[in-house]
Amino acid sequence: MELDDFKNTWNTQNDTATQQNSTSKLIDQMTQKKYRSKINRIAYPEITGTFICLLAAVYIGMNFYKLDTAFLKGTGIVSILVLLILSVISVLSLRQLKMKKDFNKPHAETLKIFATQKLAFYKLQKINVTLSYLLLVTIIILLSKFYSGTDITNSKYFWTFSFTFGYIFLLFFSKFVSGYYKNTLRKTEALLNELQS
Amino acid sequence: MDKKEQFIAAIRENEGFIYKIAAVYTNNADDKNDLVQEIIYQLWKSFDSFNNQSALSTWMYRVALNVAIYQLKASKKRVVTISIDEQLLDHLQVDDSGNEERWKIFKQQIDSLNLLDKAIVMLYLDNKSYDEIAAIIGISKTNVGTKLLRIKEKLRSQINKNI
Repeated sequence: MELDDFKNTWNTQNDTATQQNSTSKLIDQMTQKKYRSKINRIAYPEITGTFICLLAAVYIGMNFYKLDTAFLKGTGIVSILVLLILSVISVLSLRQLKMKKDFNKPHAETLKIFATQKLAFYKLQKINVTLSYLLLVTIIILLSKFYSGTDITNSKYFWTFSFTFGYIFLLFFSKFVSGYYKNTLRKTEALLNELQS
Repeated sequence: MDKKEQFIAAIRENEGFIYKIAAVYTNNADDKNDLVQEIIYQLWKSFDSFNNQSALSTWMYRVALNVAIYQLKASKKRVVTISIDEQLLDHLQVDDSGNEERWKIFKQQIDSLNLLDKAIVMLYLDNKSYDEIAAIIGISKTNVGTKLLRIKEKLRSQINKNI
C-alpha cells in the first residue's frame, strides 16, 4: 500500500463531509450562544491555582509569629517562596495561553512557535512538580505547628515517613514522568530541528 | 452579499478539509466537534484580516492547520464547551464499514508522522499542488518534494512491516 492509495479514502471522507449543509447554522449557534474560544477557557484552572497559592502564602505570613524555632521559620519562608514561585509559574502559563495567536502565519512558523512553547512548558512542569513535592513536606510541618502547636519535625516517624515517601515519589517521578515526557520531548526537539534546518 | 454570506460561501468550498483536519488531529467525537467549532470560529474572527495576498483557500487551510495545533494542547485539558446540535457535526460518522476500516489504517499511519509531515500529507491527499503546499506550510517547493518522497518511503516501509 502506498500513500497515493489513501487518496481514495481521503476523498471518500470529503464526499461524506460536504453532504451536509450546516455551516450557516453553526455560525448562528456560535453567535447566539456567544461562543467563546475553548483555548481561552482553559485559563480558569490556572487562575484558581494562582489564587489558592497566593491565599496560602498570605495565611502562612499571617501565622508566621507562631513559628518559634529557626528551622520552623526557615520552613515558613521556604513555603512562602515556593507558593510565590508557583503563582509566578501559573501566571506565566496563563500569559502564554492568553497571548494573542496569529493563525494567519505559515504553518511551519506556527509549528516552530508551538514546539518552542512546548519545550518551555515541559521545563516549567518539571519545576512545578518538584516544587509541589517540596511544598507538600513543608506544609505538613507548618500545619502541625499552626493547628496542634507541636513541632512535627521532633518526631522520628515524620522523618522516616517523609524520606520513604519522598524516595518513592522521586523514583516514580523520575521513571514514569520523565519517561512519559521523554518521548514527547524527543519528538518535539526533532521537529524543531527539522524546522530550523 | 454581506460578510456572513461571503464567509459561509468560502467555508462551504473548503469545509471538507476542515472536517477532515478535525478527524485527523483528534481521537474522539467530542474533541473532533470542538476542533471544527474552533476552526470555524477562528476563521470567522480572522476573516476581516484576510488581505488577499494569497488565495482565500490557501489562507483558510493555513488558519485551519494552525488552529488544530493549538487545539491539540487545549484538548488535553478537557473543558465543557457549548452544546451544538449533534446532527450538525455528525459529518464524519462513516457509515460504510469498509471505509471506516481504511480510515483507521490511514489514521494509524498518519499519526506516526510528525506535525509538519502530517500537514504535508493531508494537503497532498487533498490534491494541492506543490506550489500551494509550499505557500500554506511556508517552506520551499523543493523542500515539499523532498519531504513527500521521504514520507512516502517511511509509510511504505511501515505498511510493509505491518503486513
